[in-house]
Amino acid sequence: MPIMEHKSMAWRMSVNERKFIETALASDLRVDGRRPFDYRRLNIKFGREDGCSEVQLGETHVMAYVTSELVQPYRDRPNEGILAIFTDFSPMADPSFEAGRPGESAIELGRVIDRGLRESRAVDMESLCVVAGKLVWSIQVDLHIIDNGGNLVDAANVAALAALLTFQRPECTVGGDNGQDIIIHDPKVVEPLPLVIHHLPISVTFAFYNKGDIMVIDPTHKEESVMGGKMTATINSNGDVCAIQKAGGEGVMPSVVMQCIRIASVKAADITSKLKNAVEVYNTERALRKVKRHPSKMAHQVSVADITLEDKQVKDLPRHQAKMACQPYIGSSQDDEPKVDTRTSTNADGNSSGTHADAFVGGPSKWDPYPLRVGTSQVLGTLTVVKEEQVVSDDHRAVECSLDHTTTSSSGTVSVSDAMQKSNTSKSLKDAVKLKKRKKNRSSTTTR
Amino acid sequence: MAPMEVDRADGRTSNQLRPLSCTRNVLHRAHGSARWSQGDTIVLAAVFGPKAGTKKEENPEKASIEVIWKPKTGLIGKVEKEYEMILKRTLQSVCLLTIHPNTTTSVIVQVVGDDGALLPCAINASCAALADAGIPLKYLAVAICCGLTGSRSVILDPTKIEEKKILAFAYLVFPNSPISVLPKGSLTEDSEPIEAGIITSVTHGAMPVVDYFNCLDRGYAACAKISEFLRRSMESQAPSDLTKTT
Repeated sequence: MPIMEHKSMAWRMSVNERKFIETALASDLRVDGRRPFDYRRLNIKFGREDGCSEVQLGETHVMAYVTSELVQPYRDRPNEGILAIFTDFSPMADPSFEAGRPGESAIELGRVIDRGLRESRAVDMESLCVVAGKLVWSIQVDLHIIDNGGNLVDAANVAALAALLTFQRPECTVGGDNGQDIIIHDPKVVEPLPLVIHHLPISVTFAFYNKGDIMVIDPTHKEESVMGGKMTATINSNGDVCAIQKAGGEGVMPSVVMQCIRIASVKAADITSKLKNAVEVYNTERALRKVKRHPSKMAHQVSVADITLEDKQVKDLPRHQAKMACQPYIGSSQDDEPKVDTRTSTNADGNSSGTHADAFVGGPSKWDPYPLRVGTSQVLGTLTVVKEEQVVSDDHRAVECSLDHTTTSSSGTVSVSDAMQKSNTSKSLKDAVKLKKRKKNRSSTTTR
Repeated sequence: MAPMEVDRADGRTSNQLRPLSCTRNVLHRAHGSARWSQGDTIVLAAVFGPKAGTKKEENPEKASIEVIWKPKTGLIGKVEKEYEMILKRTLQSVCLLTIHPNTTTSVIVQVVGDDGALLPCAINASCAALADAGIPLKYLAVAICCGLTGSRSVILDPTKIEEKKILAFAYLVFPNSPISVLPKGSLTEDSEPIEAGIITSVTHGAMPVVDYFNCLDRGYAACAKISEFLRRSMESQAPSDLTKTT
């Protein structure tokens, strides 16, 4: 009876590749063209919900989700909340990752991140206490490793931090009849609260080669399989060392370790600023989204306003195209969205994510050709001209990005997806109207 | 009987789907990958394979498919196991299993967002990923969710809130419509479409038989649209890098 051979999927580095990497490193060259102390491109994206982040560090791709629930505290810490980190080395990241129980590297990764966050008191635990000794908030961070391109610790750490920074837990008050009931307020009614985070511990990983002589930062997957030893230093932007992890591997001189830590503090400051910028962009978008929510309830009465929104959309298209021009990856994916459904999104970058709710309600009334025939045809006219340019530039971009898989946008996913939808309205406006008509005809014939 | 227009929360009509988006080749280590989104329901699927050997209970005369479903948060429970089983059986009927006997192809599904119609989204993503990996397929499977409201009208692609309110819903999977080499006229000869076989149908809740057939008709029509979209998206993307490094 044949048994499943996992070893057939285990990738072994050839001697040639190994020698190549080692020889190149001896002359300060890395296979992907970086210098020894350069990080790969870091992309931080956020999902629609709070506490949902996606980080890409070169080819490594990690997703983090933060959830919270009320639980009983640990008996030896009745005043503190609970922080749990759950790492999932998904089999999709690497053929050698197996589903089921986490292996040692998964556990090690979880522990390093946990140490950086909990023991350095980065996340404030006491603010999570609701009723001392009885109820506290338990924050669970789920890290999913989607693609293993090397240096999982750093990518996962940034993902966890990004998710924690944007997470908001529901507000709860102690009240009720006997003054003991906990009332959890609906996030739509009462503003949820962000977590209190004192500082951001950033982990920086070094790989050692040639008996500790050569060190590089942010090793790729191939460099990791050739390395002699590895060290992760978790440092915050204040220069405090939160954790250092060097588990076995080649012996390294203490002077080298000190040098690594010094380099790490510089890199940590850099990554902290990137992280803070990304979070700020996301927060502004979220705030705008909340502001726009109320008008959407009255949108279906306001058919006149719909047309003005369209005009604004047309005007902003050139600006939007300029924005799209610097996002080749998005270009390829947007080609795949012909939009069976006629979804509109108003555009200005600030409003774009904001009017998701708007778009839902305003959609059909906007595109319905019967009452608003004049308006839509005018818009179609202006948009077709733009559409040609858009299509050409899309094709151009699509060809470019088949070779380069890295995303370049570091703004929120929300704005990206809206960008996709938005430029699709220009492409598929006519298609959308036609499709909808056909669909109506088809449905009427089948039911008759 | 004229179809009753249902007022849906997000303003769609009963026949409108949410915006679809399909991106293939999103991962670097996986042999094939695809990210499929229908509105806020987003699923990432990755394919590895074929690997040598099959599990003990599988038939070594054919290739076998292994599905791993990863929920967004939390541990794997019964719901996930059921999804794995349905997905596995659906994909087994889509793939040409006799080409590579005694091998295992792994399909890993990661839920990125769940806003209703999760299983159809996952099936669509898995098929796109299989196509991206170059696994030999008979045809592509296209999935849709049809819901039956209290007023006995069919709505397509319900969101999570809608799924909770409606009477019953069905996940339907059809093979994608082939581009026929026959002249156009012959397609509508008997006013019957050529390949109308249902690959998978999973229903939740009780619905009268007539309404179920209604759902099937609507679902089939909608799947024709989705398969058009799928075909367009596969044709438009430049051929993915065939020399993938493992």
